[in-house]
Amino acid sequence: MTAALRGLAGGLILLLGWEAAVRLFAIPPWILPAPSGILATTWTARAGLLPAAGMTLAEATGGYAIGAVLGILLAILLSQAAMLRRVLLPVVVIINSVPVAAYAPLALLWFGTGATSKVIMVAFIVGFTVFLNALDGLTRVDPAGIALLRSFGAGRLSILWRLRLPSALPAIAVGLRVSTVRAMIVAIVTEMLGSQLGLGWTIFEAVLQIDFLRVWAAILVASVMSLAFFGAITLLERRVVFWK
Amino acid sequence: MTEAAGLLDPHLTVGTAPAGREKLGLRGVSRHFGAVHALDRIDASIPEGAFVTLIGPSGCGKSTLFNILAGLLEPDPGGSVALDGMVVPPGGLLGRVAFMPQRDLLLPWRSVLDNAILAAEVQGQPKKEARALAREMARDFGLAGFEDHFPQQLSGGMRQRVALMRTFLFDRDVMLLDEPFGALDALTRSLMQRWLLDIWSRYRRTIVFITHDIDEAIFLADRVLVMGARPGRIRMDRAIDLPRPRAAALITAPEFTAIKRELLEVLEEESLKTFQAGQR
Ligand SMILES: Nc1ncnc2c1ncn2[C@@H]1O[C@H](COP(=O)(O)OP(=O)(O)O)[C@@H](O)[C@H]1O
Ligand SMILES: [Mg+2]
Repeated sequence: MTAALRGLAGGLILLLGWEAAVRLFAIPPWILPAPSGILATTWTARAGLLPAAGMTLAEATGGYAIGAVLGILLAILLSQAAMLRRVLLPVVVIINSVPVAAYAPLALLWFGTGATSKVIMVAFIVGFTVFLNALDGLTRVDPAGIALLRSFGAGRLSILWRLRLPSALPAIAVGLRVSTVRAMIVAIVTEMLGSQLGLGWTIFEAVLQIDFLRVWAAILVASVMSLAFFGAITLLERRVVFWK
Repeated sequence: MTEAAGLLDPHLTVGTAPAGREKLGLRGVSRHFGAVHALDRIDASIPEGAFVTLIGPSGCGKSTLFNILAGLLEPDPGGSVALDGMVVPPGGLLGRVAFMPQRDLLLPWRSVLDNAILAAEVQGQPKKEARALAREMARDFGLAGFEDHFPQQLSGGMRQRVALMRTFLFDRDVMLLDEPFGALDALTRSLMQRWLLDIWSRYRRTIVFITHDIDEAIFLADRVLVMGARPGRIRMDRAIDLPRPRAAALITAPEFTAIKRELLEVLEEESLKTFQAGQR
């Protein structure tokens, strides 16, 4: 709680400093508008921003859910196949290390400029992140714990269910947490590269129209959504991984 | 520290252990780890219902022997383990003896009760039924009122009792306990020893118990097996015919100290070998 309060205080100080600096040095709005101006524009442009935000959020969370489920399932499968894991893991790491933006044009080419390409891009990025974290958690289990369960007569599935999965939960939770922000970023970047909807598109369009206040307003909305998404998953994580 | 005190039954009912038939037999059990020769032709016979303690310098292969008895490791070719007179095939001991490893290995996401029923659950006993049984047993194990706590909230002695309860709830004739009291302070340890004897008398299992504490080894046992420096071998097999029930003061009795002196001689010699090997 106090941490949240301190964060809030820090944010306020930053905003006030920003506002003061813009006024004091008379910075022109196309370089850096004042927070008050951004807030005002967010309010007046709400009719366009709201549906755009809804679209982006739907793409980000939809892709997130799909990627998370697939990533966890794939990690579980590979945790049970040591040979296959050793062959596939380097490939996965290589694919994962290429910056997202590089794949986005391909996704647009293959899946069009509608929501599908965004959902797929998000699912792809989230899937990799969650997969790598989950696999690490699933395979880094205390061998003594595995021995104990084996001595009780436990088979693979029993060990997976009673030991590997719960032991991996903290690692999976970390993957899910960092994926929230990535999901938002990827959705917005892919929108910028090709779409007629969403906050990414709004930003792109506003830049073309030299409407910098609207750019900032869209960034503000995207940041608030990102934070909320991150916060929600963090809260969930604390409840599920209560023993850490 | 005195949490175990209330558990002691002043009217202990144990007689001397029956010199029963063989429960567990080891015949020429050796084990190498690469170049390390951990166990060397161990022969031993553990009678049904007996409390046998295993003592020896650290690194002499006690835990390795337990891993073999639990079915987690195979002995080198030529050696075998027999349970109830039948030689056990590779992996055949898994699920057949109740093993308590050196660390308690309690699962932090499970409550005390759910940790205790882990083995029973693995064996396919319905959770509800296992929990009901565990709830009844919690009093015997000094865990009444803590059933729904999590391991992180417990003291070392209590954690150890949860692990012991898990081992007892895994309803097998043979129990292997690897230094269960090794991490406890002397007073708690002494209380837990008497408590364990009391529990043992009520649940009647064959127990093999590893320790590196001579007093503990003698105090608990019907028989003490002394292992020698690596490669581990049984250097001495001493029957302990001290009367039961045993009171705390026993360890100062002359018959106790006589046995202790006898064991010490062998142990000192073996520990010295380990020490000198370490200096080279
Ligand atoms: N899995 C293993 N791989 C290699 N060496 C091992 C393994 N387990 C035990 N050892 C070695 O075998 C010897 C006996 O170990 P251990 O049985 O743990 O001794 P103790 O329990 O008596 O202290 C030690 O030298 C140890 O390093
Ligand atoms: Mg050991």
